[in-house]
Amino acid sequence: MKLNNIVFDKSSFAAEMAKLKNAGNFDYLVTIVGEDFGEEGLGCIYILENTDTNERVSVKMIAEKIGEDHVIPTVYNLWKSADLLEREVYDFFGIKFLGHPDMRRLYLRSDFNGYPFRKDFDADPKKNPLLLTDEPQSDYTVEYNLDSEGRLTSTPHRLFDDDDFVVNIGPQHPSTHGVLRLQTILNGETVKKIYPHFGYIHRGIEKMCESYTYPQTLALTDRMDYLSAMMNRHALCGVIEEAMGIELSDRILYIRTIMDELQRLDSHLLYIGCCAQDLGALTAFLYSMRDREHVLNCMEETTGGRLIQNYYRIGGLQDDIDVNFVANVKALCNYIKPYFQEYMDVFGNNVIMQKRFMNVGFLSKEDAVSYGVTGASGRTSGWHNDIRKNHPYALYDKVEFDEITNEMCDSYGRYLIRIEEMKQSVRIIEQLIDNIPAGDFYIKQKPIIKVPEGQWYFSCEGSRGEIGVYLDSKGDKSPYRLKFRPMGLNHVAAMDQMMRGQKVADIITAGAALDFVIPDIDR
Amino acid sequence: MEENNKSYFGEVFHAVKSLATGLKITLKEYFTPKSTEQYPENRKTTLHVSKRHRGRLVMLRDENDAVKCVGCTMCEKVCPNGTIKIQTEMVTTEDGKKKRKLVDYQYDLGDCMFCQLCVNACNFDAIEFTNDFENSTFDRNSLVLHLDKEHYESSLPNILDGGAPLTIGKFNTKTK
Amino acid sequence: MFDFNIVTTWIDMFLRQTLGLGDFLSILIECILVGVGILVGYAMLAIVLIFMERKVCAYFQCRLGPMRVGPWGVFQVFADVLKMLIKEIFFVDKADKLLYLVAPFLVIVASVGTFSFLPWNNGAVVLDFNVGIFLLTAVSSIGVVGIFMAGWGSNNKYGVVSAMRGAVQLISYEMSLGLCLITAVILTGTMQVSGIVEAQTGPWNWLIFRGHIPAVIAFVVFLVAGNAEANRGPFDLAEAESELTAGYHTEYSGMGFGFYYLAEYLNLFVISGIATTVFLGGWAPVNIGIDAFDSVMNYIPGIVWFLGKAFAVVWLLMWVRWTFPRLRIDQILTLEWKYLMPLCLLNLVLMTIIVAFGWHF
Repeated sequence: MKLNNIVFDKSSFAAEMAKLKNAGNFDYLVTIVGEDFGEEGLGCIYILENTDTNERVSVKMIAEKIGEDHVIPTVYNLWKSADLLEREVYDFFGIKFLGHPDMRRLYLRSDFNGYPFRKDFDADPKKNPLLLTDEPQSDYTVEYNLDSEGRLTSTPHRLFDDDDFVVNIGPQHPSTHGVLRLQTILNGETVKKIYPHFGYIHRGIEKMCESYTYPQTLALTDRMDYLSAMMNRHALCGVIEEAMGIELSDRILYIRTIMDELQRLDSHLLYIGCCAQDLGALTAFLYSMRDREHVLNCMEETTGGRLIQNYYRIGGLQDDIDVNFVANVKALCNYIKPYFQEYMDVFGNNVIMQKRFMNVGFLSKEDAVSYGVTGASGRTSGWHNDIRKNHPYALYDKVEFDEITNEMCDSYGRYLIRIEEMKQSVRIIEQLIDNIPAGDFYIKQKPIIKVPEGQWYFSCEGSRGEIGVYLDSKGDKSPYRLKFRPMGLNHVAAMDQMMRGQKVADIITAGAALDFVIPDIDR
Repeated sequence: MEENNKSYFGEVFHAVKSLATGLKITLKEYFTPKSTEQYPENRKTTLHVSKRHRGRLVMLRDENDAVKCVGCTMCEKVCPNGTIKIQTEMVTTEDGKKKRKLVDYQYDLGDCMFCQLCVNACNFDAIEFTNDFENSTFDRNSLVLHLDKEHYESSLPNILDGGAPLTIGKFNTKTK
Repeated sequence: MFDFNIVTTWIDMFLRQTLGLGDFLSILIECILVGVGILVGYAMLAIVLIFMERKVCAYFQCRLGPMRVGPWGVFQVFADVLKMLIKEIFFVDKADKLLYLVAPFLVIVASVGTFSFLPWNNGAVVLDFNVGIFLLTAVSSIGVVGIFMAGWGSNNKYGVVSAMRGAVQLISYEMSLGLCLITAVILTGTMQVSGIVEAQTGPWNWLIFRGHIPAVIAFVVFLVAGNAEANRGPFDLAEAESELTAGYHTEYSGMGFGFYYLAEYLNLFVISGIATTVFLGGWAPVNIGIDAFDSVMNYIPGIVWFLGKAFAVVWLLMWVRWTFPRLRIDQILTLEWKYLMPLCLLNLVLMTIIVAFGWHF
C-alpha cells in the first residue's frame, strides 16, 4: 500500500486522532513508525485500520520542538498498543510523548547515550562503549507534560511499592521462549502487575538496513522471527516489489504461497509442542517436533535451510523447486493429517491441559483490537484479522480456505485455532501443489536495485500475526527508513492486562498460548 | 467463557476418559519406530543432507585445476558482513594487454551468514556453496580460508549429492 | 519358599558362637553390615532406575535415548555419576548456610529411611516394627522439611515459591497416602510390614484381589498420591522446570543436587515398593490354587518377585509421568481435597463394611 499521509495540525492532533478512532472506527493501530524526516524534523507515521471495512489510513505527525526536546501528544488513551509502540519511538528517536505515563526506554539500556535512529546520531563506539556492568534500574518512571506556559514538565511515577514481591521471569528462563524479561509483581502466587523488558537480543536490524542495499536487507529478515522466516521475507520482498512495480510470474506466486503455508505448518507444530512443553508434557512436545522434522525436510530440499531459509529474493525465488518437491509435499500432507487428532488426544483434549488453558489469559475482542493482538491469538477473541483474507497477497484470493475464529477469548481457544489453522494450511497446499504452472522462478533484476521515491507499507500473515514492513525510499539503492511491525510486541503488551489476578504459573501458560518469538520483537 | 454445567460425576468421568486416551496414545507410540538419527555413527552411511544445504563456500576449478575467479570483487562488494576480502594485482600478459589477476581470495567462514548473495552476484560461476557442514574447529583463525589456495575436498564425499535417500514420514535410525 | 532368616541367623550365630563376640560387638557388626547393604542396594537401584527412566522416557517419546556410552548406552549413568561427583560445590551469596547444607541430607535420610522398610524377601525386612506402616509415613515426611529448607535457605525467589508449593503439596497428599494404606491394613489386621506380606501368601491372597473394589480404588489413589509424594509429573510442581527453572534445588550443584536427584528416583521406587508390599503381595509369588503351577512359582526367589512387581509399578508411574502435563498448584490441592480425600474416606468406610460382613475373598 502506498501511503498517502493525512497531516493534522499540531494543536488539533489529539482531537483529530480521537475522531478517527471513535467516528471513523479506526480502532486498530497497526503500528507507529518513528522517522527522522531530515529537514522537516523528527516525526511519526501512524498506520490505522478500520476493523469493519479493513480500510487503512496513515497519519503523519511532525514532532514539535521545545528547546532541545521533540514532543508529540500521546495516543496511549486511544489505543492500548500505543503504550509500547510510543516507548519504542522514544527509545530510538527521543520523541517524548506528552501524557504517556511510562516514558522509559524499551529496547536499549537506560544509560545509553543518544537516540540511534536519528540521522545525526554519532555511532562512535567511544560514546557508547560495551558495558559489562549491570543496567541501572530505577524504581521510578516519568511522565512528560506541557505546563500552561508551554514548558516541558516531568512527573515521576513509582513502579513498585515497598512491600511488593518482584520476581523476574526471564531473561534467562526456559519458558519465555527467548530472552524476554517479565518483571512480575506477585502477591503470593497471584500476579499483580507485569512490566515487560525487551532488548536482550536487539540487533538494530532496522538501523543496519539503512546502510544496506536492498538485496542485503533481505539477508536479515530470516533472523527476526525465525519461525516465520518465509513470511518475513515475503513481506519485505513484497514491499520492494510493490514499490518497484515488479510483476511476478504465476509460478513464483504458487511456490511462495506453498512455502508460506509450509512455514506456518512448521511454526504451528512447534507452537503445539511448546504449549505442551511449558506444561511439562515433554512427550507431546516431541511428537510434534518429530513431525515438524518432516516439514523442515520438505523445505530444506528446496531452500537449503531449515531455520534460515533464505529463499525469496526481490523478483522471485533463489532457486527453482527441487525435483522431488511435489512428491515430498504430497507425502507430507498425507503423513501429517492423522496426527492432528493425535495431538488433541495426547494433549489438547487432556483434562489437565484444559483446566490449565481454559479461562487463562482472557482478552476481550475490544482489548484484542486495542492492543493489536493479531494472528491466531487475536482471532480467538472473535476478531477477523487474517491478512490473507483482509488484504490478500500472493494467491490467497484464489485459494479456498477458512479464516478460523472463535469466541473463547482464552488460551485454550488460541490452541484450538492453531490446530484448525494447520488443517487449513494443508488444505491450501493440497489445492496448489498439483497445479504449479511452468514459468520463470526469478524475474531478472538490474544488478543495482533502486526503489522509486515514496512510502509503502505491506504486510503478510505471519505465523503469529501481522508482519508488516514500512519502507521509505528516497530513490537510493538503500532504504531511507525500513520498519518492521513485529508480531509479538503487541502480544507481550497485552500480557499485563491478561494476567492480572491470575496465578504465576498462568503466565507460562498464557505466554505459551500467545506465541511470541523474542528476536521478532527485538529485531 | 463456557458455563460449567457438567455434574460432579460427569466431570470425573470425562476427566478419566481423557486421561486414558492420552495413556493409550503414548502406549501406542512406545512401540512405533523411533525417530533418532544416530549422527555421527551414520555420517558415512545413512546420513542425508540436502544437496542445497549451505555449509561453506568453495571455489570451483576448471579442468586445468585453475580457479574461475577473475577478481572482479563483485562478491566482496555485495557481502553484507565483509566476509570476503579479495586482493588483485595488474599484470601484463604476453600480448601486452593489462589484465587483473587474483592474488588472494580470503573467506572468513566464521563471519559468513550464508545469504548466498555472493553466489548470486558472481558472473563467472566461480564460487558456490557446498553441503559440507562439518566445519567446527577449536580456533576461530582456522575458519579464515583462502579459497584460491586450497584444493577443497569434502570430509564427507558421500553426502555431496544428498547422501542416503530421504523419505518423508520416515526416519533412518540405523547406523549401517 | 526360601527364608532369608536362615542367612541372618547364620551370621548371628557365626559372630556370637564361632567368633565368641559379645552382644554389643555382634550387634554393631550386624548393624554395619545391614547399613552397608542398604546403601549399596540404594545406590545400585538408583543407577538402574535412572537408566530405566531415560530409556523408557525415550521410547515413549519416539527416541532411542542414550546410545553412545557403552553398548546401547548402558554406561551413561556411570558417566553421569562420575560427572556429578567431580563437579564443584559452590555456595550462594547470602544463603542461609546451615539450612542450605543440611537440606539435602534430610531429603536423603527420609528416602533411605523409607527404603529400609521394604520387605525384600521372606525374612529380609530391615525395619520391622509392629506399627511399620505408620512409622513409614512418618519417616517419609522428613523429606518435606528438606525441600522446604532447601527452597528457603538458598536465597532464591523461585526456590521460595517452590518450597511453599512442595510443602503444601506433600502435606496434602500424605492424607490420601495414609488413608489408602489404612484401607489395606483393615484387611490384614496388622501394621507390621512382614505381617502384611505374610497375610498375602497363598492363592489369590494379594490384597488387591481379596479386597476387590475398594482395594483397587485404594491402589489407584495410592499411586496418584504416591506420585505426588515423590514429586513426579504430573505433580512435579515444586520442580516445575518450565516455571521455576528447577525450583528448590536451583542453587545446588555437585552432590547436593545429586542427593535430590537420587532421592527423586528412589522415592519413586519406594512408592512402588510400598504399593507392591501392601497391594500386590510383596515377595509373595503368583499362586492360583493349582499345586503344580504354584510350586513352580514358589521356586522363584521372593526378591525376584518383589523387584519384578516393583519395577512393573515403576514403569506404570513412568508411563503416567511421561504422558500428562503438569497441574497448577490450586488444581493439585483441589484434586486432593475435593476428589481424592473424600474418595479415600468413602473407600475406608466401604472397606470396613466389607471386612465386617466378611464380603472379601
